[in-house]
Parts: sequence; structure tokens; C-alpha cells
Amino acid sequence: MKHYLKLLAVFYRTSIQTDMEYRADFFTRILASLLGLATTVGALAVAYTYTSNLRGWTFAQALVLLAVYYLMDGLIEMFIAPNMREVMNKVRDGTLDFVLLKPVSAQFLASFRTINVWRSVNALVGLGLSFYTVGRLSLRVGVEQAVSFAIALACGMAVVYSFWLMLVTLTFWFVKIDNVEQILWQAFEAGRYPIEIYPPWLRSTLTYGVPVAFIITVPAQALAGRLALGFIVVSLAVASAMVLVATVFWRFGLRYYTGASA
Amino acid sequence: MTFNFSPRQAMERITYYVVVYRVFIKTALALMAQYRFSVLIWAVWGFVGPLISLAVWAAATAARGGTITNKAHTATFGQGDFVAYFLVFMIFGHLTMSWDAFEFAWRVRTGELSPRLLRPIHPIHGDIAVNIGFKLITSAMLLPFWVALFILLKPTLPHPDWRMLGLPLAVILAGLLRYVWQYALAVIAFWTTRVDAINQLFFTLDSFLSGRIAPLALLPGWLGAAAAWSPFSAMGSFPVMLALGRVPGDQVLVGFVVQLAWIAVGILVLRVLWSAGVKQYSAVGA
Repeated sequence: MKHYLKLLAVFYRTSIQTDMEYRADFFTRILASLLGLATTVGALAVAYTYTSNLRGWTFAQALVLLAVYYLMDGLIEMFIAPNMREVMNKVRDGTLDFVLLKPVSAQFLASFRTINVWRSVNALVGLGLSFYTVGRLSLRVGVEQAVSFAIALACGMAVVYSFWLMLVTLTFWFVKIDNVEQILWQAFEAGRYPIEIYPPWLRSTLTYGVPVAFIITVPAQALAGRLALGFIVVSLAVASAMVLVATVFWRFGLRYYTGASA
Repeated sequence: MTFNFSPRQAMERITYYVVVYRVFIKTALALMAQYRFSVLIWAVWGFVGPLISLAVWAAATAARGGTITNKAHTATFGQGDFVAYFLVFMIFGHLTMSWDAFEFAWRVRTGELSPRLLRPIHPIHGDIAVNIGFKLITSAMLLPFWVALFILLKPTLPHPDWRMLGLPLAVILAGLLRYVWQYALAVIAFWTTRVDAINQLFFTLDSFLSGRIAPLALLPGWLGAAAAWSPFSAMGSFPVMLALGRVPGDQVLVGFVVQLAWIAVGILVLRVLWSAGVKQYSAVGA
């Protein structure tokens, strides 16, 4: 275990060193992110000029969801996305062999090799928006809420990771599906707004099918102090189960990986 | 490029371009047929935005008891009207989309642009051909989905009207307009490959001023006025409103003229930027 933690430290350190080469991009990224935020907040604001609540959500409450969306988006782009995309590239080029031959778990190596520091912009924007909305709603965020928020975020990330890993495992069979991650992002975008605005069948899909609602709504509820301890335990259980399923599927898929000598 | 006024020379040039485009489009179609699954995923991307906007406005309409009227009392939208608006916007948005602004920075950075500049024909023609090819293939693939959406969501359809005869032209002009302006945007990559913020700015302005997030009539007054003065409303809102029968008879011709005017301005801007940009690109020795 300590061995893996040390490896993780090395991975992240080297990744950050490489990223430092591209810091000039950081400011354009911040600008782009803020503009994106202006678009989504503005779109909501226009709708809210005609009504003070959308299916029971006030503007400030909807902003909390949006803040969590940006935060999750940033965290996914920082920790999960670069690795998953790299695995798909390696499968296509046949260079996954180099990962498989190393003396550590291939899944660990493939999943945690890179961290994309500059993508933290969206996470920072989301965090900033969270602070703003917490103030706006006069929410009392104590240690309890902060901890459950962090746990909920971690569970959300675990669920996204599992889903993406399963999609990536599919490339062992279907190599030419580069932009399969778009399916994830499209579903994720829908979770930007309260899912009550969608028709019932879509609501169910977004809750049980592609659990976007889980990923975004649960941390939002934690922030608002409305997450019961029982639900936190359930979230941890669900997240762990999904990671397990994804791991098993990955090992199964590896058997069909034909490698560079195909 | 000089203007050839001799009819024979003009005919020769037209034939030349027709032949070139036929080849380009055939190649693009063949390429896309290879990656049809990826192409489909990209195409479905266009569904999500309008449907989410529709859900938001449907909820707002429900909260207002079934109809929303703007402050100036010049436009009213019911549930069915919003469905019609966003479905038509989705389809027209797909038919007028372009993505060169995103690819160009990559081309400049990797030097992929250089071989294209060496060809005896402007690179834009290859890109236009790919654009047309993509739309031909994806429209065919998406047609059943569009029909399904119309049946499932039950939009309020307008009565057919003489104004709608101009619809194909309006959509083509809107597509051309959007293409020209986003290509001008793309060309900025000649000076800096850090175009994220610039592209995002264009996208943000486009989202509000073209009517993508809400019908222009429902935007706050100052925003609606800004939209009227920008090329974006001619790219997005005009053909959609024309299709919905919401353009008053006397405004139809005005709408077309505005489209043509912005296309002319756009082509001018593009040509200026392109010649300056290519000089810059060659000087840097890419």
C-alpha cells in the first residue's frame, strides 16, 4: 500500500513538472472558463426573469447544482480524463503492452499516471461559485457538511471513473470509438440543472442508468446540509461496488487485448 | 483572385470548382463512412443542448401557467411553441454548424496546414467540402431521430405560408454566414494558438445572440437589441422564426438582406485576415 502511495507521489510530481511547461495557457483557460460560466448562469438567469422557481428550485438553489457541476467537471478533467484518454490511445497504438509489462497493477498505472493541473480551472470556478451560493443561501457549512461534501465528491469521482473505465475497456473490442467519452459528457451536461425539469423517464435514466443525478445532486445536498448519514453510507457502498464491477470488467477485457503484435 | 468578366473564363472557373468539389466531397464521404460510429456520436452531441434548454423553458412555462409573454407584449410562447422553437433550432443548428475554429489552431501548431497551403486551391474549399459531406451523411442518419422527436414531443406547428418558401435559401445563407465568420475566427490561430478564450467568447456571444438559449424576443431588452445588430441573429434566429411563421411579412425581405450584408462583411474580414495571417505564418517559417 505504501509502495503504491509513493508511486502516486512520483506520478503526480512528474506530471506537474511537465504541466509547468504550459502555464501560459492558464490565463486563457481561466478566461474561457469564466465565459463558459457566464453562458450557463446567464441562460438560467433569463429563464428566472419569468418565474422565481423551476419545479421547486429557486435561482440560488439551481446555482448550487451548477457550482457542483463545474467542480466535478474540473476534478474529472484533472484526475480521470487524461488517464482514460491515454489508455484508449495506447490500445489503439498497441503500446498498452508497456503498461502491462510493468511490475505494478496495470489498472493502477493506467488510471493514476497523469494529473492535468491546468484543468483545475473549472474546479476553482466551481468552488468559487459554491462559496458564493452558500453565502447567498445563508447556508451554515460546518465541519460536518464539509466532510460529507468531500465524501460525496469522492464517491461521485469513483462512479465516473468506473463508468469511464468500462467504456475504455470496450475499446479492447471496438478500437475505433475514440469519442465514446462524448456519451458521458452529454449525460453529464444534463445534470447541470435540476433533474426535476426532465420528463419522468429521463429522470429515472439519469438516476439509475447513467447516475448523473447521483454525481451532482448528492454533493449539492451535502453542501446544503441535507445529506443524512445513512445516505452517505449508501453512496460509499454504491461507489465501491461500481469500482469493483469496473475492475472485474477491465481484467476480463485485458484477456482480449491483442497488443502490438496483433 | 481577380474577377473574370469574360463569360468563357467564368464558365471555366465554375467547372473547375465543380469538379474539385465533387472529388473533395466524395473523399470526405468515404472517410466518414469509415468512422461512422464516431461521426454519429458527434452528431448526437447537437441534441443535448436544445433539449436541455427546452426542459428549462418548459418548466418556466409551467410555473407561469402555460404561457410566457415578454415584457413588451410582442411575443407569446406556450409549451408547444417552445417545443417547436427548440426542435427547429436543433435541426437548423445542425444544418448550419461548423467546427474549423476548433481545428485550425491544431493545424497551425502541428504544421499540418503547410501542405494545404501548397495546393493550387485555397484550403477553405477542402474544409467546405468536408463540412457539406458531414452534413449530408449525418442528416440522413439523424432524420429518423428528428421525426421521432417531432412525434413524441408534439410541437405546435405553424400554418404553411408563402413566407416559408424562402426557407431553404434562409438556411443555406445562415450556414454560409456562420461558416464565413467562424473561419475568420479560426484564422486568428495564425497569430496565437492560445485561442481557447477567443473561441469561447464567440460561443458565448453566439449562445445568447443567435437565440440558442432562448427566443430573442424573450431576452432582456438590451440583449435583444444587441442581437439585432449582430450577425448571430441572422445565423440562428431568422431562419428558425421564418420556419415558425413568426416573421412579419414586411420583415422577411429585410431578414434576407441582413443575411447577405453580413455574409459580404464576413468574406471581406476573412480575406483581410487570411492574407495577413498567411504572411505571418510563412515569416515564422512553419
